[in-house]
Amino acid sequence: MNPFSFVRANSPKAAIDAVSKGDNSRFIAGGTNLLDLMKNGVMQPEKLVDINNLPLKDIQLSKDKLHIGALALNSTVAADNQVKAQFPLLSQALLAGASQQLRNMATVGGNMMQRTRCSYFYDTAMPCNKRQPGSGCGAIGGVNRMHAIFGASDKCIAVHPSDMCVALVALDATVLVTGPKGERKIPFADFHRLPGDTPEKDNNLGKGELITAVEIPNNPYTKNIYYLKVRDRASYAFALVSVAAALELDGNVIKSARLAMGGVAHKPWRLAAAEQSLIGKTATEENFRVAATVAMENAKAYEHNSFKLQLAPNSIVTALLKATSV
Amino acid sequence: MSQDHSEKQSEQKEFHETRRGFLKQSTAMMALALTPPIVLKAAEKDEAIAALFEKVPVSMEINGKKQQLSVEPRTTLLDLLREQLALTGTKKGCDHGQCGACTVHINGMRVNSCLTLAVMQEGKKITTIEGLANGEELHPMQQAFIKHDGFQCGYCTPGQIMSAVACIREGHANSPEEIREFMSGNICRCGAYDNIVSAVLEVKQGGQKV
Amino acid sequence: MRQDKNVGKPLDRVDGRLKVTGGAKYFADNHMEDLQHACLVCSTIASGRIKSIDTKAALHAPGVLDVVSHLNTAPAPGYKQPDGKARRQLRIFADDRIYANGQPVAIVVANTMERAVYAASLVKIQYEQEVHHTDMRANDKAAYQTDRMKDYVRGTTDAWKTAPVQLEASYSTPIEVHNPMELAGIIAKWDGPDNLTIWSKTQGVKNSQVALREIFQIPDQNIVVHSPFVGGGFGMALRIWPHEIATIIAAKKVGKPVKLVISRDQMFTMVGHRPAADQKIGIGATQDGQLVGITHEAIASTSTYEDFTEAITSMSRFMYACPNVNTRYKIVPINVCTPIWMRGPGEATGAFALESAIDELSYKLGMDPLALRVKNYAATDPEKNLPFSSNYLREAYEMGAAKIGWNNRPANPRALKEGDWFVGYGVSTGVFGAHRGKASAGAIFKSDGSLVVQSATTDIGPGTATAMVQIAADATGISPNHIQFQLGESTFPDAPEQGGSATVSTVGSAVHDVCQELKTKLLELATTHIPDFKNSTPENSTFENGYLVTAGDAGKMEISLSDILQKSNTPVLQVTTTSKAGDERKKYSMYSFSVHFAKVHVHASTGIVRIKHVVSVADSGTIVNSKTAASQMIGGVVGGIGMALTEEAVLDHRYGRYANNNFGDYHVPVHADTPPTDILFINKKDPVINPMGSKGMGEIALIGFAAAVSNAVYNATGKRVRDLPITPDKLI
Repeated sequence: MNPFSFVRANSPKAAIDAVSKGDNSRFIAGGTNLLDLMKNGVMQPEKLVDINNLPLKDIQLSKDKLHIGALALNSTVAADNQVKAQFPLLSQALLAGASQQLRNMATVGGNMMQRTRCSYFYDTAMPCNKRQPGSGCGAIGGVNRMHAIFGASDKCIAVHPSDMCVALVALDATVLVTGPKGERKIPFADFHRLPGDTPEKDNNLGKGELITAVEIPNNPYTKNIYYLKVRDRASYAFALVSVAAALELDGNVIKSARLAMGGVAHKPWRLAAAEQSLIGKTATEENFRVAATVAMENAKAYEHNSFKLQLAPNSIVTALLKATSV
Repeated sequence: MSQDHSEKQSEQKEFHETRRGFLKQSTAMMALALTPPIVLKAAEKDEAIAALFEKVPVSMEINGKKQQLSVEPRTTLLDLLREQLALTGTKKGCDHGQCGACTVHINGMRVNSCLTLAVMQEGKKITTIEGLANGEELHPMQQAFIKHDGFQCGYCTPGQIMSAVACIREGHANSPEEIREFMSGNICRCGAYDNIVSAVLEVKQGGQKV
Repeated sequence: MRQDKNVGKPLDRVDGRLKVTGGAKYFADNHMEDLQHACLVCSTIASGRIKSIDTKAALHAPGVLDVVSHLNTAPAPGYKQPDGKARRQLRIFADDRIYANGQPVAIVVANTMERAVYAASLVKIQYEQEVHHTDMRANDKAAYQTDRMKDYVRGTTDAWKTAPVQLEASYSTPIEVHNPMELAGIIAKWDGPDNLTIWSKTQGVKNSQVALREIFQIPDQNIVVHSPFVGGGFGMALRIWPHEIATIIAAKKVGKPVKLVISRDQMFTMVGHRPAADQKIGIGATQDGQLVGITHEAIASTSTYEDFTEAITSMSRFMYACPNVNTRYKIVPINVCTPIWMRGPGEATGAFALESAIDELSYKLGMDPLALRVKNYAATDPEKNLPFSSNYLREAYEMGAAKIGWNNRPANPRALKEGDWFVGYGVSTGVFGAHRGKASAGAIFKSDGSLVVQSATTDIGPGTATAMVQIAADATGISPNHIQFQLGESTFPDAPEQGGSATVSTVGSAVHDVCQELKTKLLELATTHIPDFKNSTPENSTFENGYLVTAGDAGKMEISLSDILQKSNTPVLQVTTTSKAGDERKKYSMYSFSVHFAKVHVHASTGIVRIKHVVSVADSGTIVNSKTAASQMIGGVVGGIGMALTEEAVLDHRYGRYANNNFGDYHVPVHADTPPTDILFINKKDPVINPMGSKGMGEIALIGFAAAVSNAVYNATGKRVRDLPITPDKLI
């Protein structure tokens, strides 16, 4: 690792000030992705600002929403009784990610900030526009089995690796942010970006902005939910495709639905049109198949990931069936 | 003047610039303000003094023993344990949080010590494999690993055991399936998984305090 | 009062306590005064030469002692050939050639690890790039044979084409990486110009000693190699690698001990791998399932600077009673590190093809695949024309079939479902030569009754010391509690590397023999120095529970072995014996056999495979320790799960670089991938191979397993996957 300076921040303001000053300063919370990237020379901050002492760990359920502090640990959120009872999709998604050791380190804010696991991003001897803008996309024409089928550009076809974020985008979460210019709220779906011409930008946070919390409005998705993760081994692997599915059922009729996918795009991928197609329908495999077909509009595969064009809709149907049958 | 010599001079110059630049941006900024210029000048030449400026004080409790330490910010907890404190029971298998060989407990929770910095452990309680047994008396999980042969080469074993103890404490050891899922962050290339599951189940079912 | 036999018992590992407390010292756990840390700088091109190395910034980084490369060090003396020609090998720091990505080209030494790693990132290298090939298939016209790999023909070539029922199929297996949990590396320490001590990750301390003698041209006795604990090997530590030479050179240059631990990504590029292979099998049978002919052809990858060969096509020659067999095997040079045998080596690659083909043929014949195997059982070795020293394959098939519930297997694929999951059963066979090499062992018996046995073998995980203690206990009649077995030191009596499933056979025989020798000496001391025992002979005496027992005229007399030493004024009795196979190997064909059964679930719409139950049966002769032996078998099964379902090192051929050189993307099986596994042993003594009758197990634990899974997946889904690993994308 390159040498860097280290500061412990005792208030959000001190943290923001410390990061805003330097050209290349970063917050560090769990560090599970940042240190990984620093060891590979992918990120080389001059200063790390330790935010673990900030009072941002609380999980609070109020009458209209769940508030999760940005520093709440992934494992803590997953095991929280309120989360398990009222937002079980989030709990399932969290437990599908990483290992218990990493979930004990990784924070909610850090999970949102994790960067792609694309091999070309990680290998400084190969081109990557995200790591080094203008160097080219190694994955296009390269090894791209894990890569995007939605929303990619000719600059970048990487995917966002999080499971938690797939559940959060499905549940209409809001990101609370504070920065040099004050506080603001970002709808979760607008937090992460598509690569476009600036794949180096993963999200819409401004310089010095700190995620302080995530809020999820209360919802009826407490029972008919399922988080399906298809991966190359049974655990501790990133998704080939994952699906967060939540249904509000009236008997066998779908009153409302939430669907999102992971492992398919540069950001957690909400399937709004597919959700719409389910409303008012009966919860049958046939109707799920229709929704899956809707979800796959505009999907585009590359040399090694065309299987996702089949795996993704199959996974949507499977997840919906699982959500229905609980 | 030979070409060699002039090259050497320019190298020297570059070296000093590098050193100064390094000190300027280093963590020692606060300390520097209070440091007499004479020491500063020496720091440019003397590596031993320069090293002091790169280090940050941190105190933590490791296996029940309070430690006042001074570490480079980039030193991971794993490397601190292994290279500076000679607690080599904790192993490095990947250095990227992808194998679990470096698992230790921080304030009772299992973590990958390779992906956390030593300076981030201020005031924390660290338990490593060396701190698990009660003197000569092995921890029940250590006994169970021996009984069920939950290892072969033994390299991932400290991490497996630390993880297994936490797995029970967390309440994630209620069935073989649950154990397999919640122990999946610890890779064993020798493939002792089946025996590890037996060991964890036995300790869990034995009801001993872990 | 004859004590129970120790061989066969589930004795706890003698080094178990050290391993569960963190007390076991692997090479990197050693600390010593003035120890410096090293980090390698590796090539970022796949072929070409180094134009320049800019070390300025690195040398000026804090704590750096030196940056060593071919530009500032003399080539190791052993790289010089008498005829002046360059030896065909990777000669680290001897020249500017680049053969592969990730090849070490310089080594940075600094006073802390962090500083060495950072300084290595500052070294700037310029290359002159040349055309590279990393795609074996695209480069297959470059395939060649060496003297070691001649074509084999028995009967008529391609006779399968004349058979009434025929199958021809191609199978491919990717590069797999050993990836033991312990990272490779070394601590090198010079004492003067000619005395070298290393602590390193090696499966053979004597191997390392010999290799270093040749490279550095210093006598054996000046080279000490320590490797008492090895964190897994699976073959990758069977030879000296360039990173070790680099560190030794650097340690000499800086005049201080130097430690190098390579990184996980470097484990992919500089310490070998299982080569990629493409195989084609033609197989034919009569309508009732009698094999007519087998043709087995293979190409496999090697490096551009060494020929690596293994036994990919061997199993096809003798596994089944088949009159006509021909095999052909070639290697293809690509720009990667030289491969090295990986657990089950070439046999595992070959068994995947052969045992898949047998399964495919069984469906063509409408015959149970198990019945097809039994029908073509080879009672004698058809390749060597010799009887097997022992072969209990048919019993193994029966035992395994009963345990897995083979009668639940549907005859036709896609016929059995549990919920969303298709259910299938598969079987396959594994076989590996039962070897016995030459080894020595020393026994040191002290008057306190303790016995220490030493041999320069290693233990990469099977529990060598534990097994040796059991063998020595039975051979001497001394309790295992009073016996210590020491290994992993080059100063101990000579033994080969731990590999090829031969340690119990080879070293165990030496331990057995040295214990016999020890008893002879003890008897001599007793007859010479202790009047009551002057008439003791091997015929009228036994060694039991630490006593010499002689049936004399006045009845049984006994004396403790420690008393023999005390009464003969012998503080320590020390003997060393060398042991090797005799000409029995000319009279018998010797193999270990395994049979693997797998029950799998395949998710219909996502292609996820879950192995639900495994039964593996080993015919490996006498089981020395039923606990550690079962563990070794389970471990092979887990390795086989990786080969079958998850493992593949993926190269981007444009750059010749690995795209998944880490544990996150190269998927070694985790806990959740593994099913309950039943291990069954034939446990019948091989009457010929060695005094214990043990045949070896490390390889057969894995060989064939991948085919059992692939066959089960076919039985479940009707989809035949001929290219490993069987990932979900191949099944949807």
